[in-house]
Amino acid sequence: MANNYEFTPEDLKEIETIKAKFPEVMPATLPTLWVAQRRFGHVEPEVQHLVAETLDLPVSHVHGVATFYTQYYKEKMGKYVLDVCTTTSCQLCGGYDMLHYLENKLGIKAGETTKDGMFSIQSVECLGACGYAPMMQITNDVYVNNLTEEKLDDVIESLKADKMPEFESVGMPQHTERS
Amino acid sequence: MPEIFIDGKRYEFEGKPKLLQFILDNGKEVPFFCYHPEMSAPANCRQCYVKVGTPVQNRETGEYELDENGERVIRWFPKMQTSCSMEMTDGMVVHTQETSEEVARAQKDTMELILINHPLDCPICDQAGECPLQIQTYKYGPEGSRFEVKKVHKPKRVELGPRVTLDAERCINCTRCVRFTEEISETYQLTIASRGDKNYPITAPGMEFDDPYSLNTVDICPVGALTSTDFRFKARVWEMNQTPSIDITGGKGTNVDLWTRDNLVLRLTPRYNENVNTHWMPDEARMAYTKFNENRISRPSIKADGDNQIKTSWNNAIETFAEKLEAVKPADVLVLGSAHASVEENYALMKTFSTWGVNDFYFSPDVKEGFGDDFLLTDDQAPNTKGVKALGFSETSAEDLKAAIKSAKVVVLLNDELVDRGVLDSEDLKKPYVISLATNETETSKSTDLVIPITCIAEHAASYVNVEGRIQRSLPAKETKYTHRKLDLEMSEGRLDRYGTNFDNWVNEDNKVDCTPTWELMNNLGKRLGLSIQFGTSREIMDEIASSNSSFEGVSYEKMDDENGIQLTGMNKEEVSA
Ligand code: SF4
Ligand code: SF4
Ligand code: FES
Ligand code: FES
Repeated sequence: MANNYEFTPEDLKEIETIKAKFPEVMPATLPTLWVAQRRFGHVEPEVQHLVAETLDLPVSHVHGVATFYTQYYKEKMGKYVLDVCTTTSCQLCGGYDMLHYLENKLGIKAGETTKDGMFSIQSVECLGACGYAPMMQITNDVYVNNLTEEKLDDVIESLKADKMPEFESVGMPQHTERS
Repeated sequence: MPEIFIDGKRYEFEGKPKLLQFILDNGKEVPFFCYHPEMSAPANCRQCYVKVGTPVQNRETGEYELDENGERVIRWFPKMQTSCSMEMTDGMVVHTQETSEEVARAQKDTMELILINHPLDCPICDQAGECPLQIQTYKYGPEGSRFEVKKVHKPKRVELGPRVTLDAERCINCTRCVRFTEEISETYQLTIASRGDKNYPITAPGMEFDDPYSLNTVDICPVGALTSTDFRFKARVWEMNQTPSIDITGGKGTNVDLWTRDNLVLRLTPRYNENVNTHWMPDEARMAYTKFNENRISRPSIKADGDNQIKTSWNNAIETFAEKLEAVKPADVLVLGSAHASVEENYALMKTFSTWGVNDFYFSPDVKEGFGDDFLLTDDQAPNTKGVKALGFSETSAEDLKAAIKSAKVVVLLNDELVDRGVLDSEDLKKPYVISLATNETETSKSTDLVIPITCIAEHAASYVNVEGRIQRSLPAKETKYTHRKLDLEMSEGRLDRYGTNFDNWVNEDNKVDCTPTWELMNNLGKRLGLSIQFGTSREIMDEIASSNSSFEGVSYEKMDDENGIQLTGMNKEEVSA
């Protein structure tokens, strides 16, 4: 496969450090895929080939790993990927309303990317923040909790200005009691 | 010796066998899918559950603790264990589904889980009839499914490579196919992609499953997920007969089964032989069946005017053969044996012609340098090079052969595609009168003056000596115009053969080729020439060879059958020149 992707010397150095942590190269697959996704924004087939070549592992193995985890993007995604949780707790607290609000607002359906390449929406399973339902995660990173339509408007505005929302620390009940 | 108690019966064992294999080796059964004796045991199908316990031992004295009845106290593993990955230890106690309701229930529940999204399209599934999932569901599975919602659907026709097609819905994710490419063929071409109820085996994007051994995955896939692109939808398993045979596309002598229906060979599969190919065969060898069916020479033909061959009668063919010989001296006749023909055929040819007065016999080896691997492919492209040599045929180079043909008046050529494989040019065969005994219509047979059809490996019982000096034999799988399944006790009979009649619309007389075994042809020729030779069946010919040629001492069909082939003494791999 002709490859249009290339790791930078810094990436390669990082990959070497990763490899040094394990007795074999195979376990380095996961962190190296992360290096790649950070660099290119996704791990589409060509990137998987690049990772396999760099680690000297079978491409099939890298492909198996990349497709096992949903956090790796196997195709080009928007700059910001909005993962809206629609599992039970979020669903009960309006997860789908939030999802549909976003879909209407951005004019795309879950699983799609806006034309300008800014946003992708995904409907995802429980992200383990059921206590602050409904919630979403942005590009495998910041959680935005207790979603409302207004909050979504704000988030989209700030993302358009390339500003990631702050990580909101939500106190656990026991913490609130103590303070 | 360490002991183990399985279903209340005591067995002794040595070493550290795995439980499932031991159970199977002792003629008992536990259902399983992912385990394969030649590959690692990932224990992922969970079908081989058994209940296992070990006796409680006093740590200091090492003695077994006994209960009030004087029986050993057994400490059971808290959960069911997968027998495929369970290493046996001294004193272990095991219950299979035969003696434990609990185990039977566990196996049934596993099966229900495996079947949740299984399409159960057995009526259109190639695997039906030889499907471990189908068989074990009958034996150990639940009667129905409690899963009432729509099943997950997956792609039904993925071309993984040139020869293998995947029906992803039927896959039970046993990973046998993936492990095959990792551990046996070492091409690492397959992986399981995605996860949960969406996963199935696939190649990396942009790559093909073109492993030279890819079709073995079709054989070991315990369901109808991996299918042979060539054989797909061609025949139901129960309509075919299965006949043991030998691969003739190379020198390894891979043991195979020929699957026939109405006297057509429809597919070849590997047959287990621990001394040769174990469970595997190369993809190359699988297409050999087309040669058994297509372009067969049926009825002798003779060159009439110019280069046109016309069909002729057997009488005329024998008569012409004899007349051409009688018109010249034995020294003017060049007799060529063939590494592509069996020991018996070459022997019959040699004996007939040496009785008639010919002294020298030659053959042209068929070797492709660098073609072999260190697995089942060999440089030697012929199945019987060692066999012809041991009979006394001398190897000859292309140049020597051309010179010999030039100076001969009559050439007799036993089944060998000399022109097709580039040893000779059809011009070379112009001058002498060339008689070929052949199975298939080829450039070679077209360039000869008299073509006499002979049986191929699928039609006769005959022996072949592989590159390692192992002699193995075939059995007749398809009828010729002159043989009959019900009369030839070596032939197997399938359901259709047994209950069908000649008037059924699936019966086609044309599938029976008008040809005879070489030794019968030699009998007829010998009789016409007044020679004192008489060959019996190929079995008798082999007895004759064994008693007259020291290389074949002790060889007989019985022994070959009992021992799955015989290693000839004084022959080993290194000895193979060329
Ligand atoms: S794989 Fe077996 S059980 Fe499944 S559809 Fe095919 S024959 Fe039936
Ligand atoms: S395709 Fe067949 S061999 Fe491969 S994982 Fe699925 S069931 Fe197993
Ligand atoms: S259900 Fe949405 S985070 Fe758990
Ligand atoms: S055979 Fe033991 S788990 Fe599959």
